[in-house]
Order: sequence, then C-alpha cells, then structure tokens
Amino acid sequence: MRIPILKLHNYLLISIQTELDDQTAIQFQEDLLKQIHITEATGVVIDLTSVEVIDSFIAKVLGDVVSMSDLMGAKVVLTGIQPAVAMTLIELGIHMRNVPTALDLEQGLMKLHQELGE
Amino acid sequence: MMNKDLRSIAIENSDEITQEWLKEINQLKSVNYTEEISAELYDNNNQEFLNVIFHSIRGNGSTKVIKDFSDRIIQLGWPLSYITDGLLVFRKVTVNTILTKLEQSDGGFVSEIISSVDSWVEPIIRQLVNEYSVSWEQVVSLQRIALQELSAPLIPVMDNITIMPLIGTIDTERAKFIMENLLEGVMRHNAEVVLIDITGVPVVDTMVAHHLFQATEAVRLLGASCILVGIRPEIAQTIVNLGINFSNLPTKSTLKKGFMLALEITNKSIIEMDNKSQNMDDLLGFGKGSEITNENSNLKTT
Repeated sequence: MRIPILKLHNYLLISIQTELDDQTAIQFQEDLLKQIHITEATGVVIDLTSVEVIDSFIAKVLGDVVSMSDLMGAKVVLTGIQPAVAMTLIELGIHMRNVPTALDLEQGLMKLHQELGE
Repeated sequence: MMNKDLRSIAIENSDEITQEWLKEINQLKSVNYTEEISAELYDNNNQEFLNVIFHSIRGNGSTKVIKDFSDRIIQLGWPLSYITDGLLVFRKVTVNTILTKLEQSDGGFVSEIISSVDSWVEPIIRQLVNEYSVSWEQVVSLQRIALQELSAPLIPVMDNITIMPLIGTIDTERAKFIMENLLEGVMRHNAEVVLIDITGVPVVDTMVAHHLFQATEAVRLLGASCILVGIRPEIAQTIVNLGINFSNLPTKSTLKKGFMLALEITNKSIIEMDNKSQNMDDLLGFGKGSEITNENSNLKTT
C-alpha cells in the first residue's frame, strides 16, 4: 500500500486515508523524502483527518519525517489530528513538540504560507 | 391464628391507639421537626398516616396506598424521621394497648405480641424508607447531570477564539471531561486560540497543572493553541513553590489580557469607534458637516 503524494505549486499534499501500519509508514517516509528531492518542494502538508489510530511507532515515524524534511529544506505541517488521537498520544506521553500542527488543510496551507514568508 | 386475633384487637381499639399515638407524636414534634408546618396540616397528615397504617394492617392490597402516601409526603418534603418515629411510636403504643386489653403478661406471650406487631409495621417502614431513598437518589443523579453540564462549558466569542471558563475543583474525572470537551469544541468551532480561564479554580496543585498541561498539549496537536488566563497571585505563588513549569504555555493574569494576546495571535485588532462626543456633535449639526460618520466598523482583520 503506497500513500499518494500530490504536488501543488511549491507544496506537497498528502492525505492519509488508511490505517497506517509500520511497513506503510516507512515506505511513506522514503517516498516523501524522494519526492521532496525531485520536486524541490518548500512545504509539505500531511493531513490525518481520516486516521483514527496513531501508535507510538507511527508517531515516531511522523516526527522523524518532519525533522528529515526540515533538513532537506521543506517545512512540514500535520493537519486534522482527531481529538481521540490527540488524547491517546498525550496519554502515551508523545507530545511531538517539534511538529507544527493545524486544524485542517486550509489552515495548514496558511500556516506554511506564513512560516515560509511567501 | 394468634396473629389474626391480635390484629382484630388492634383494629377494634384503633381509636385508643390513635389517641395515644397522637399524644406521643406531639411530644416528639417539638423536639426535632415540623417547626414550619401549620398545626392543621400537621393534624391532617397525622390522621392520614394512621389511616395508611391501619389500612396496611387490615392487609387489603396496601402497597398502593403506602406508595401514594409516600409520594405525597416526599413531595411536601416531610422528613424521613417523622415516618420512622411515627412507626416506632405506633409499634410501642399498639403493643401496650394489646397488653392492657388482654391482661396477660407471661414472657412468651409478650414477645409474641411484639413480633406480630413488628411484622405489621416492618413492611411499611421498609417501603417508605425505600421510597425516600429512591427519591433522594433521583435528586442526586439529577444534580450530578446538572453539575456535569456546568463543568466544562466552551464559549466561542469570535471567529477562531474560544473561551473555557473553569469554576470549582478539578479532579481526574472532571479533567478528562474537560479535555474531551475542549478538543471536540476546538474541532467544532474551528478555533485557533482557546483561552482557559482558571479564575474560579480554588486550588492549582501538581495534579491540576498536569491535567491542564495534557489538555493544552492535546489542543496543540489539533493545531490550535491555548492561553491560560485568570492566574491569581496566590495561584502564581503555589505554582512556583510547587516547582511547576508553565513556561511553554502562555499565561496571563486576566481574561482581558489573554484576549488581547489571542487577537494578536489571530491577526486581529480592536479599533475604537469614533469618539462619542464627536458623533453627538455631528448628529446635532455642530460639526463641520452634518452627516453622520460612517466609520463604525470596530473590528478588522489584517
């Protein structure tokens, strides 16, 4: 199962529509970094609206993706984290402090826009 | 057989028992309850109570009668002690009356009388006390629901700005409820900034701080941010003395200051309307022109 990565101007959009298993997450991490390299994107929005479970491994992978993309010069924003997911993550002690977040795709794009100063 | 006899004796002498009972119960009256109940109402109620008891002793389908009676007195707010005292007195009086009527006093017989009178009175006590406790439980559960409705309200005051005023002690259960409500509300109102007002929280200890932290972190994961407002001087002192670190959570002393910060975060500002006296001058034609200035938009998004 590969997660589609869409390009929009300088940004990459990813909407995760399936429950993430470990394999898919790792695959996604590689794909995204490759895409950033190819497209020279400056911003990435990962939308998690339809994700209902995030375990500690997935959370770590997502956190890593953010740091890695940063290194490659692309800013990442996570959007649409569901209340239940947020609660579970906090209860697990996963705070994801280095990860910028936004309520939905629209605000995520706006946030990128602001942070990149475009 | 024996019980039946005793029962008929009690019913035959019901007038006498009634007299004695009223005498005794009136002595109790002054001691503990019914200060505010009028004498007439009190007498009526006594009479009715006795009727219910005798009705039950005669044993004709009495639970319905007891239920009606208990519903009524619960509604009127008679204390439970009135019921229990009344029945205890009734038991004593009835045993005495039967003993004097039969003029027989050997131990076995007395205990038989007592046990049979007990068996008359017991179901009434049981049912009435049950009715009372059921009604109390109802009241408690209603109050719990009411309390829960009040425990974590979320008020959207402006596009993207929402306030959650917290009043009263925060325990683990309530903290969980607050977090759920907060997150649901952020999603529903599309909030960008949430002001949590703890003016009404009497004590902020490490546990409360921990819960607040968790809630704000979760809100941050959703993509909104929290501002903690309403920190009173004594709360600030406790927080620092307990060594709680609130540094990665913006805090303000009052809701007003917090709201200003929220406006800043959401790129909004409040612009004062035109000076009132100026407006009055314009209205009255004292100004340069007599038309009313139309600049009354008090909010703009930059």
